[in-house]
Amino acid sequence: MQAANLRLVKRIGVVVAVAVLLVLPAALMAADAYPNKPVRLIIPFPPGGSNDIVGRLIAAKLSERLGKQVVVDNRGGAGGVLGTEMAAKADPDGYTLLIASAAYAFNPALYKLPFDPIKSFTPVAKLGSGPNSLTVHPSVPANNVQELIALMKAKPGQMICGAAGIGSFQHMGTELFKMMTKTDFKIVQFKGGGPAMIDQLGGHSQFSFGSLIQTMPHVQSGKFRLLAIGGAKRLKVLPNVPTIAEAGVPGYEATNWWGLMAPAGTPAPVVDRLNREIRTLLDSPDVQKLFEKEGAEADYVGPAEFGPFIEREIAKWDKVVKEANIKVK
Amino acid sequence: MELFQNLIFGFGVAFSLQNLLYCLIGCLVGTLIGVLPGIGPMATIAMLLPLTYNVPPVAAMIMLAGIYYGAMYGGSTTSILVNLPGETASVITCIDGYQMARQGRAGVALAIAAFGSFFAGTVCTLIVALFGPPLANMALNFGSPEYFSLMMMGLVTAAVLAQGDMLKSLAMVVVGLLLGIVGSDVDSGIKRFCFGFYELADGIGFVIIAVGVFAVGEIISNLSDPEERVVFTSKVGSLYPSREDIRQATPPILRGTALGAFLGILPGTTPSIATFASYMIEKKVARDPARFGRGAIEGVAGPEAANNADAQCKFIPMLTLGIPASGTMALMLGALMIHGITPGPGVMNQKPDLFWGLIASMWIGNLMLVILNLPLIGMWVSLLKVPYRMLFPAIMVFSAIGIYSTNNASFDVYIAGMFGVLGIAWRLLGCSPVPMLLGFVLGPMMEENLRRALQVSEGDPSVFITRPISLAFIVVSLLILAVMTLPAVKKRRGEITG
Repeated sequence: MQAANLRLVKRIGVVVAVAVLLVLPAALMAADAYPNKPVRLIIPFPPGGSNDIVGRLIAAKLSERLGKQVVVDNRGGAGGVLGTEMAAKADPDGYTLLIASAAYAFNPALYKLPFDPIKSFTPVAKLGSGPNSLTVHPSVPANNVQELIALMKAKPGQMICGAAGIGSFQHMGTELFKMMTKTDFKIVQFKGGGPAMIDQLGGHSQFSFGSLIQTMPHVQSGKFRLLAIGGAKRLKVLPNVPTIAEAGVPGYEATNWWGLMAPAGTPAPVVDRLNREIRTLLDSPDVQKLFEKEGAEADYVGPAEFGPFIEREIAKWDKVVKEANIKVK
Repeated sequence: MELFQNLIFGFGVAFSLQNLLYCLIGCLVGTLIGVLPGIGPMATIAMLLPLTYNVPPVAAMIMLAGIYYGAMYGGSTTSILVNLPGETASVITCIDGYQMARQGRAGVALAIAAFGSFFAGTVCTLIVALFGPPLANMALNFGSPEYFSLMMMGLVTAAVLAQGDMLKSLAMVVVGLLLGIVGSDVDSGIKRFCFGFYELADGIGFVIIAVGVFAVGEIISNLSDPEERVVFTSKVGSLYPSREDIRQATPPILRGTALGAFLGILPGTTPSIATFASYMIEKKVARDPARFGRGAIEGVAGPEAANNADAQCKFIPMLTLGIPASGTMALMLGALMIHGITPGPGVMNQKPDLFWGLIASMWIGNLMLVILNLPLIGMWVSLLKVPYRMLFPAIMVFSAIGIYSTNNASFDVYIAGMFGVLGIAWRLLGCSPVPMLLGFVLGPMMEENLRRALQVSEGDPSVFITRPISLAFIVVSLLILAVMTLPAVKKRRGEITG
């Protein structure tokens, strides 16, 4: 009896040992084997906008490279706060990722956030960036930024500028312009960039700092006059269009950007792997072409510089929000 | 005749085997997602967009457009059969369509909806081809004052035309206006009536309220009335409309088409406005308005035609000016741009195959939808034979999936549940939810445009009467008010003096 029991215990011991030996390497390998199930990519905006287009592009290309499906999960609402919060509170295992954009840097100044914009996330990589564009309705007698500023100064508080809603990328670029040029004009808010553009097409509002992708078709058809773009440097696709900084507002920069973030605490090997794949896929000409079609540029920045970039952006827009006295809460 | 040459050229493009196939796929997928209240065209197009990268642009657009109007078509099916508005615009169809189904006339309602949509689609295809560009430019004259006056006309008409207890209708309009206030204020960004919920920052979704009040409310109140259930399932009746039905439905289809086409050209309106307006008009011109809400065929024919006309004419601002009138349209514009085509006035000249091919395919698509749907009517109607103990849970599940998938938010499902309870309360109190929905849709748009107009005019209200288009709408609203109140006043006066 005793011997039999002992044999049983031994046998169990052997089974356990074998099992451990079998499982252990698998457990150790798990980090290397990332990903071994589909990855969720949260886009904190509804389908259709630039965040969604960039996010879906990255999801499709990343799926090819990782060998596992990257599933897009649109979680729109409250200027991106809802989806970002969801990502911040997800397990930091590399299976939940977030598309962040310039709104990520405005929101700390605009809302009381249910997460910490710096500590809650590990930056993976910056994906791309696209400037805003200063366009006027053709009835406005201004052919360049200087002339437009002169018009604003001649008629303070009279000119009408359309914007895509309080705290939108367009609105923030507008306020930055107002602040830096010390001009006074009316900012009329719309629910989104589309309606704002329609209003300007009819000449009801006179100018706007719209996203280039939305204004470009109307610039080409002559319904808008493009005075300048808001980026730090000229765009490859528009070599003759000056930046707002060059054209008379030195230091002006309003660039929308998109980046990939992981919840804080995501293992370093996972972040490295993702970062490597992003870098490779942003190098491919067809991805770059797709960004160009969105009026933007693929713009890889690694985690080491991307984190400080976000902090600088947060500080910059915080100043604009305070100075323009924008209150959303 | 250049137009005919263009149209023939367009049909040549659309009739290629590949394009016909994509048109068929689009219509099928669209009908399917329209019937399933779960998924809307927006989410579907977003999901299918990457698939179209490798398809020629004409074929891609034909397919996406097929999904768009196929969904409009399919949405009416669930409205009629189970009182579940599949799409925002088919809420109105629920009212009389579902009542027709309960009287065993589901097949007739489905057929009339299909005919009405097809007729509107045909007319609007011609309008797009004939007058697209000039109309689009005209629509640009609508600024904030014009939109405000237009919305006001809608609200005045609604309030005046409301049947039954006037006080209850007005109260429901006010409830709708209040619900519309919830969310971030466009102008200041301040959150109104959000009670600290970020989920409410963008307001309450129309579909959430509609599904809550109509579908959830309907099911619960049906459960409390076991006898009615039995009657409902035992009758299916004739599948096709009689001559009398067609005679009754024709004028509403004509009026709905005209109305939908007009509102469709304006990029600042939503299809629900066209369907609401059509329903109100039909109710007013009807010889016996009391039939409405009890299965009047006009209440299905008019709004369905208006809905489809609006959906088709929304292509005018999109194709000729590159203006997306809705999120779905914005996605389609995105698809064009991915193919390297810049939407706008240039499309017609630079890509005539795309422009005319798409227009021709719209008509072909509408025809396909009729051919697809008519033989299917029998099948759809047999859905009603499913016992309630199986149908009800299924509807509840589909409603929940549908609401959840709009924003991927479970919060929205709770809100819909709450509106289900409210829907029952309103039903018991004899308050129709339709005026509430109208107030909910028009209120926020009115407020937004009013404030914007006044901001631009520096607080001077004369802007509404010095601009001719706006003035015209205001005059019409006043006329409607006068015409409607005069008889009442006369009657009252007669009572007093006599």
